[in-house]
Amino acid sequence: MTQWRKPAPGEHEAGDRSWEVVLRAYDERVRVPHKRDWRPVVAIVAGVAVLAAAFSPPGLAVFGSLRDAVRGADNAKPALDSLPAAGRLLTESRTGIWVVQRDGSKRLLRGYRDAAWSPHGKYVAAVRGSELRAFEPNGAVHWSLGRTARIRNPRWSFDGFRIAYFSGATLRVVNGDGTGDHLLTRDVRPGPSAWQPGRHTLAYVNRAGNIQMDNVDKRNRTSTVRAGATPRQLAWAPDGRRFIAVENHAVEVFWQRGPRIGGLDRGAARVIAASIAPDGKHYAFVETERGRSSLQLTGLLGGPTVAVFSGAGAFTNALWSPDARWLLLDWQSADQWLFLRTPVKKLKAVSNIRANFGADPTLVGWCCP
Amino acid sequence: MAGSPRDERAWVRGAQGGSVSDLESLFRHHWPRAYRAAYLVVHDSAAAEDIAQEAFLAAIRSLDRFDRRRPFGPWLHRIVVNRAIDWSRARALRREAGEAGLQNVAATTAPDNPHALSLADALAELSPEHRAVIVLRHLLDYTPGEIADLTGLPRGTVNSRLRRGLDHLAMRLGEEVQ
Repeated sequence: MTQWRKPAPGEHEAGDRSWEVVLRAYDERVRVPHKRDWRPVVAIVAGVAVLAAAFSPPGLAVFGSLRDAVRGADNAKPALDSLPAAGRLLTESRTGIWVVQRDGSKRLLRGYRDAAWSPHGKYVAAVRGSELRAFEPNGAVHWSLGRTARIRNPRWSFDGFRIAYFSGATLRVVNGDGTGDHLLTRDVRPGPSAWQPGRHTLAYVNRAGNIQMDNVDKRNRTSTVRAGATPRQLAWAPDGRRFIAVENHAVEVFWQRGPRIGGLDRGAARVIAASIAPDGKHYAFVETERGRSSLQLTGLLGGPTVAVFSGAGAFTNALWSPDARWLLLDWQSADQWLFLRTPVKKLKAVSNIRANFGADPTLVGWCCP
Repeated sequence: MAGSPRDERAWVRGAQGGSVSDLESLFRHHWPRAYRAAYLVVHDSAAAEDIAQEAFLAAIRSLDRFDRRRPFGPWLHRIVVNRAIDWSRARALRREAGEAGLQNVAATTAPDNPHALSLADALAELSPEHRAVIVLRHLLDYTPGEIADLTGLPRGTVNSRLRRGLDHLAMRLGEEVQ
């Protein structure tokens, strides 16, 4: 079996080409401090104290909670033993997807990616290999459909009767029971999509970089909304009357068919992700600038923007608990999740996320008590 | 480029600290086996290049968080082999959908290459899962126990796939496979 040691066709040329690509990626990477620096945490928690005092008149109780918060940051729990609010958490890593129950017990559904909760959390849609599957959180598969092109980002409509997903460079829709799969459009940039609550209208980004809204049942294009820059994420307010578009350096707020009614230009900071609170009044977003990240909170219709938490390295996402009382922040560089009580009164940190959930863990959704 | 575990740890440490030469040593040491592993599973040069390259890019993205006490190779090989299996399955679906003609055109290979003439051809007759186990064992020199850890398969499944795959290769190549 000496052939194992001989070069495969194109090995050297491919190596030279790939080295150039790898070197570029290396030059462009955002370096993260290897050792954890807790000083920013302590400083931020001190800042949080001021905020909390402002939000909560019974100051003594608040400051007692903040002492807990400081202790929590220094003595982060080594594993997620429970969720601080009702509901179930969906996370994803290279191993697969995890369904985490309120009591901290979790189930791995190996090999899945790109997961999404159904509206009431009874089902999950996710991709395994070349198949889109719908299954119960215990892993019992109800249906699947295969596509030759790579499937990405399934999203359930508000009532669970439709699922939109990307297949290669196209956007497709299938009924919630796996029937009626059809092409919605090829005029799409694969990535973000969001269903309008209360309707079968899907917002997505067309090839021109604008936000397109289609009623998938009537097959008529209902409107196009011009964004300041190509959106990377779209999210609707629960009442279905407003939505936000996350761009590289801004968050824009739109009325349901346009026009723009608000938003924030974050200058040099890169906006990573945003999440509208279940009450529809606020949204949280994470941004990063010069190797530091922060979690910000602001009103959907304007008002002050408050830095809730900041730290060295990368934050990747933030989720609201279903009762809107907690924000879950993924502090990827610190290998931690932080549960922040809003208005900020308390902080719970959980460490060893990669060890417990697998490489490259990401938060997907916190659903449905 | 000796490539001992100590060298590898030094390269990872250097690359984490910003040393391009250490990064290049790491890349040059691991590229041939990563590419070869991908090629022997997918039997397609362009796909093998994409798969191995993406594995290295994933490594770059995770470089600052990488635990230097752990060996770099198994982590990289796990990514390569899993992606190669996914790609092969997707190709099988495309073939079912009627793209066999295109596949035949795309699969032209250099006539003087031993992989193209025998080993890769014989491997290509196996399922992607069998190919991956064989490649992990005989190209990348992992033990069956390590393969089970890397792939998440039961040890017995690894052994049976190895046996069946090696029997097939021995029959096709006409030599005893250890």
